[in-house]
Amino acid sequence: MSSSTATPVLAVQGLTVQRDGLLAVDAVSFQLARETDTALVGPNGAGKSTLVAALLGLLPRQAGTVLLMGHALGPAGQLPRSVRTQIAYLPQTLSLQGRFPLSVAEFVGFGFDPPGLRLPWAGGQRRHGAVQRALERTGCRDLGERLLSELSGGQLKRVLLAFCVVRPRQLLVLDEAQAGLDAPSSEQFHQLLLELRRQEGWTVLQVSHDLEMVRRTCDQVLCLNRRLRCSGAPDHALSPARLAELYGPNVVPYRHEHNSGVRRG
Amino acid sequence: MQRALIGGLLTGSLGGLLGSFAVLRQLSFFSDALGHSALLGITLGLLLGINPTLVLIPFAVIFALLINQLVQRSRLPADALLNIVYSTSLAFAVVALSLVETYRGGIQQLLFGDILGIAWPDLVVIAVLLLGALVYLALSLRAQVLLTLNDDLAGAFGVRANWHRLAFIILLAVVVAVSIKAVGVLLISAFVVIPACAGRLLSRRFPVYMLISGTLGGGCALLGLLVSGLTNLPSGPCVVIVQFAGFVLALLVSQVRYWSAASAVPAGTRTPGAAQAARE
Repeated sequence: MSSSTATPVLAVQGLTVQRDGLLAVDAVSFQLARETDTALVGPNGAGKSTLVAALLGLLPRQAGTVLLMGHALGPAGQLPRSVRTQIAYLPQTLSLQGRFPLSVAEFVGFGFDPPGLRLPWAGGQRRHGAVQRALERTGCRDLGERLLSELSGGQLKRVLLAFCVVRPRQLLVLDEAQAGLDAPSSEQFHQLLLELRRQEGWTVLQVSHDLEMVRRTCDQVLCLNRRLRCSGAPDHALSPARLAELYGPNVVPYRHEHNSGVRRG
Repeated sequence: MQRALIGGLLTGSLGGLLGSFAVLRQLSFFSDALGHSALLGITLGLLLGINPTLVLIPFAVIFALLINQLVQRSRLPADALLNIVYSTSLAFAVVALSLVETYRGGIQQLLFGDILGIAWPDLVVIAVLLLGALVYLALSLRAQVLLTLNDDLAGAFGVRANWHRLAFIILLAVVVAVSIKAVGVLLISAFVVIPACAGRLLSRRFPVYMLISGTLGGGCALLGLLVSGLTNLPSGPCVVIVQFAGFVLALLVSQVRYWSAASAVPAGTRTPGAAQAARE
């Protein structure tokens, strides 16, 4: 195994983050090995989104270190450009109030360009080809000329995946990317994500409340409630005892034909 | 009249261009608040015996940064905060203006603008600003759009979100400050909001949207000034009325397009956005 393959894509040590003056993430440590799928689970307000924002350099941290592909994340979120282009992030929603005059193809094209100032028409030929391929691979070929604000929830999530796949990346971070989708759309999105992950060799970190999906597809689970309560393979981390510890004693896992998760007993 | 026409064209284009982002980021009310508070800046200049135009730009920038901080830190709704700020600064400005003898009769010019009083140096400043805004927005288009869509998405892709947000607010403040003389305190937000909203209804690509907003802003200003010259009516309100007519026209065009596209898509095969896509 070469040293670059052995280097974890993400290594977090003693990460502590305050948000609005409150301790939101406390001394969290974990690693993501290359081409693995890791789920970050925990109750609402457990600090999952705060942790993700700190890992991406969007929030300052009070203590700890974050290494992304072997490069230390700076105190103000600085990363070398070559590392930053290797990271993709899928938010829960986009701010698309009313008619937003941006076509799907334009949006996906923004994912192709590296960070920094550049004229919108620079590199148009290469970008156009990459956008068409990304739309094709995510089943969005017919959506290229649509406005982003005209898409359904499921279509928008697929376009967000096209935005990620338009250039090679190593790390994909999803913050409850399936929120707001009905069961079939959620399943469709997840199948597409799995397929792209295999093809692209992505390392995935996803915040999720869908424990059944996590159990089925993830290699590793991180259970967070301000501190890392447990971690490991899904069968270990999502055992009834561990879930009760994480969500409280009145919570039991359940399975449902279309969806699953946790419920209060 | 020649200077007024050039001033109107430049100011209108600048307002439309900046407005294309201000409207999407829900900063319409922000430009309104800046415009109203600019009156306080002018008054301070008069009270201190300094040329109001020289005071206005630094005043507007500092004021914009303070408002921005207040909105970010107070945890109160932005529209309520902006309302407090602009009504209070307007009240202070009117009280202070009543103390300035020479301006008692000139309040109407401050409120509604005096585009005929625009001088060549003003035109040079506005032209340089328009060029600067064009270059900055073209170079940072990707960053600006991603920031408008989702702060975290932009940050994760290496966009320096705070820097660009601040740069845009400063640019907007400077544009409002230099346009006040021509457009007036009460009508400045129309220059920012109306052409951009019309452009939003007509465009399906972002650069086209910016271009339409800027062109509509400049074109309507030119037409409004010509109407004003022909009818001897006040120039600022004439421009805003023409802008409104342009907006209504854009609304009608977008509706006609929508209906014709919807009728072209067979019933039962309609999906969200199919009608709009069908007309491409």
